[in-house]
Amino acid sequence: MVDIRLNATINGRKVSRDAKPHLRLLDFLRDDLNLTGNKEGCGAGECGTCSVFVDGVLMKSCLMPVAKAQGATVDTIESLAKSGELSVLQKAFHKAGASQCGYCIPGMVMAATAALRANPFADREEIKERLGGNICRCTGYQKIFDAVELARDVQNGRVPATALLETDTADGDVIGKSVRRIDAPSKVSGRLKYAGDMIMPGMLHVQVLRSPHAHARIVSIDTSAALAMDGVESVITAADVPGKDGFGVFVHDQPIMARDKVRYVGEAIAAVAAEDALTAKRAVAAIKVVYEQLAPVFDPDAAMRPGAPVVHDYAPDNITKHIPIRVGDVEAGFAASDLVIEESYSTQAIEHAYLEPEAGLAYVDHDDVVTVVSPSQNITHHRHMLARIIDRPISKVRFIMSPVGGGFGGKEDMIYQGMLALLAMKTMRPVRLVYTREESIISTAKRHPSRTTLRMGLMRDGRIRALAMRMVCDGGAYGLSTEGVMRKAAILAAGPYAIPNVQIDTFGIYTNNTPSGAFRSFGALQTQFATESQLDIAAERLGLDPFEIRRINAMRDGDMTHTKQKLGSVSLMRALDAAEQASGWESGAPAVRGPVRGDLGHDDVRPSVTLGTRFASSGAQEAAE
Amino acid sequence: MLICDEYLTPASLDEAFAAMERHRGRYRVVAGCTDTLPWAREGRAGDVEIPVLIDVTKIPELNERHVGDKRVRLGAATPIQRFLDDAALGRAMPAMPRCAVWFADDQIRAQATLGGNAVNASPAADATPCLEAHDAIVELASATGRRSMPLREFITGPGKTQLADGELLTGFECDAFPGYGGSFEKVGHRRSLVISVVCLAVMVKLDRDGKTIEDTRLAIAGIRPVPRRLREIEDLLRGKKLTGELLEEAADMPLDLVQSRSRQEYRRDVVRGFLVRGLIAAAKRAGASPDALTRELEAAYG
Ligand SMILES: Cc1cc2nc3c(=O)[nH]c(=O)nc-3n(C[C@H](O)[C@H](O)[C@H](O)COP(=O)(O)OP(=O)(O)OC[C@H]3O[C@@H](n4cnc5c(N)ncnc54)[C@H](O)[C@@H]3O)c2cc1C
Ligand code: FES
Ligand code: FES
Repeated sequence: MVDIRLNATINGRKVSRDAKPHLRLLDFLRDDLNLTGNKEGCGAGECGTCSVFVDGVLMKSCLMPVAKAQGATVDTIESLAKSGELSVLQKAFHKAGASQCGYCIPGMVMAATAALRANPFADREEIKERLGGNICRCTGYQKIFDAVELARDVQNGRVPATALLETDTADGDVIGKSVRRIDAPSKVSGRLKYAGDMIMPGMLHVQVLRSPHAHARIVSIDTSAALAMDGVESVITAADVPGKDGFGVFVHDQPIMARDKVRYVGEAIAAVAAEDALTAKRAVAAIKVVYEQLAPVFDPDAAMRPGAPVVHDYAPDNITKHIPIRVGDVEAGFAASDLVIEESYSTQAIEHAYLEPEAGLAYVDHDDVVTVVSPSQNITHHRHMLARIIDRPISKVRFIMSPVGGGFGGKEDMIYQGMLALLAMKTMRPVRLVYTREESIISTAKRHPSRTTLRMGLMRDGRIRALAMRMVCDGGAYGLSTEGVMRKAAILAAGPYAIPNVQIDTFGIYTNNTPSGAFRSFGALQTQFATESQLDIAAERLGLDPFEIRRINAMRDGDMTHTKQKLGSVSLMRALDAAEQASGWESGAPAVRGPVRGDLGHDDVRPSVTLGTRFASSGAQEAAE
Repeated sequence: MLICDEYLTPASLDEAFAAMERHRGRYRVVAGCTDTLPWAREGRAGDVEIPVLIDVTKIPELNERHVGDKRVRLGAATPIQRFLDDAALGRAMPAMPRCAVWFADDQIRAQATLGGNAVNASPAADATPCLEAHDAIVELASATGRRSMPLREFITGPGKTQLADGELLTGFECDAFPGYGGSFEKVGHRRSLVISVVCLAVMVKLDRDGKTIEDTRLAIAGIRPVPRRLREIEDLLRGKKLTGELLEEAADMPLDLVQSRSRQEYRRDVVRGFLVRGLIAAAKRAGASPDALTRELEAAYG
């Protein structure tokens, strides 16, 4: 390799250093200069967490070979609050509550800085357009736009700088008040360290070998060539697990690396710890695995049929969990109904797409405590599971929760922490694994895809007499949170409605697809999608207003749920009123509206999206037209 | 991950050709790298080891820009963003600024080059249909000589061009259309950072009263292997009085444009809507007389 002698001005300081020719500017900043404020959310130009100024122009540093920065002036997020004093924009982000998990925020602040430099008077639409290259999964963007507008107005003297300060609240008097987030300054300045930003002296880099097959027996794994490579410290497989292997939120059916067979594409098979990530990558490529293909099953309904391929021996019917609920007598309820509607619904797998890909750092400390630092949403449970897997007393296992750059349920599973712990034990050195975005998508849990059939019996006046639902969910290759998701799905399936006769069955099924797991709303989405859609259909058939049919059936204070929980207070009616008012709802049955809705066009309805608002504000462009 | 042993940044064409000769069979040319780096990732090419990368963006000839009344010459390394910050260029190529706002995002546009867009030859590329509407000629050079050809001959299929081994794309020679109104219609899964499901470049020139179409250029992409000029529609419109009926007639021409394998019905609907909407927008920017097009028409296609 021919190193590049890079001379550049970075955050105001002259830098003259050798860099590997294949590095991207982002790698050079983060790994060589330890400027970790800007992040790598995707590595493919899609997210904007890596946005930095190059000669004053905002660029995505994951798309820029470091050689392009030769002679350039580069400014990262760290340049904005150099002496510790936040910039106006950073203060505005803090004030407006624009940072949540914070992982997108350094890039957002950079993009917002660029936007206001390009047009100090940009209106909200133009701000949106100019921030189009940066993605946030937490905030819904509104507070970010609020922050940019606030900063713009302060910069232009339209509002006083005091607007950026905290509104005083008396000590402890916070309930019902808008209080600033105390963690915001660390996020807007890029100083907060996520797991992938952390380094330790002597740290090794981990890469993982993943299965290309959905269902195959592992005949043999030959790691000798990988182990023989310079810079490779350790290679582990399931055979290295000292204790009782297996993790999962409910059933411990998943080994930390595939044991005897692989059950989905992307499943970890072996892990390498090496002096640098590139060496680890090359070692992974040198591991030889011999597979014997097994018949896979990808459809949950097919997996339930007799004779289907079996994913886990302990569950020959491929059922991970079946949750039945029975209230009253549904058949009698349907017989007594004026109208019975039967429909089917399906929902697809969804990726959480938190902006922070999984990352973790593990080490064995001076007291032999195996320590794992990771953005885990469930550290206590992980600690207990890991102790058993590595056969150490619980007092010798420690989990530290690093800042979570978005989780949404997707970081509840102990997908990689076991491998890290084992490698730290093997090498007695700190080890770090940082997922790529692709790895995160291929190997971690998704929202359960579902198929639901729903029968609903109603009286002419809109009262629901009976509801029967059967939902089959694709749980994928491992159990993860499936049991809990099926439980919640069943509990909430009939909605907040008082229905005398209810029959619900939810099934989580093993297949050879990517495992499904927790995702915010945890099962409620799938069943509620069916129930609420069906209520709209019922409203149309019965000539009722969709809000009205919900009010007619709403549970009231003191009602009992279908799973026998007595409700002290029910806020459904208030929620319906508020939603009806806020949406400017045009009341009436769905069928009474003509081709044009009467409730569109008021102030709160957004126009359809387009791009090009900047043309209206730039004189040069106007002249061009 | 893109792995190389050496990254070269030649400062002239001669230096570039010398490097290409020296590393024959072991190099790859890069410009903005916005196609090349995402390509070298898992799920696409995966980890790619290329011994030598040759970056052409510092070659002066590839950065030249001449904007005349009749012709525009653009170096291959021109970043897409230039169409937004060079007003004279925007006037000469009036659909291009509109295309540029829809192209990736503000940041990638600063890096992504026109030449890269053409050589990458994606069916969903946004700049190539615009260039096609300008009858762009591509200029090629190698150590042994130079040649040129129309863009429509240069791009032969998805990801395929006539670029020969040892050759560089140096620039584009385009017809200038000052005084035309331009528009660019695009739809993808979201606004920024998406590749086109359908995109359409439109330019319209009207007579002094803003009532008659003197000339028009249209090119469409995203729905077929290579961009396509819509000469049939241009011929239909040229010299006609600007009316809503005429634009709808143009959009209804039975051209069977959609060759994509997926979502054909949807794309056909979009193409029809885009044709009318794109023509309305371009005509308005060309100074259409206020009574030429009705409000209802604009609302229906807005
Ligand atoms: C997030 C994202 C969003 C995007 N959005 C869009 C979009 O909206 N519309 C769109 O059209 N594209 C889009 N792209 C694709 C890409 O940005 C464009 O195709 C861009 O024009 C490529 O130019 P480049 O200079 O970066 O190409 P490079 O990656 O440098 O090169 C691409 C190819 O062209 C060759 N090449 C480049 N220059 C020359 C030359 N002078 N001579 C010979 N060969 C050459 C290279 O060898 C390579 O094969 C997007 C990309 C990303 C990552
Ligand atoms: S855009 Fe660079 S990391 Fe996502
Ligand atoms: S705050 Fe934006 S991704 Fe979490």
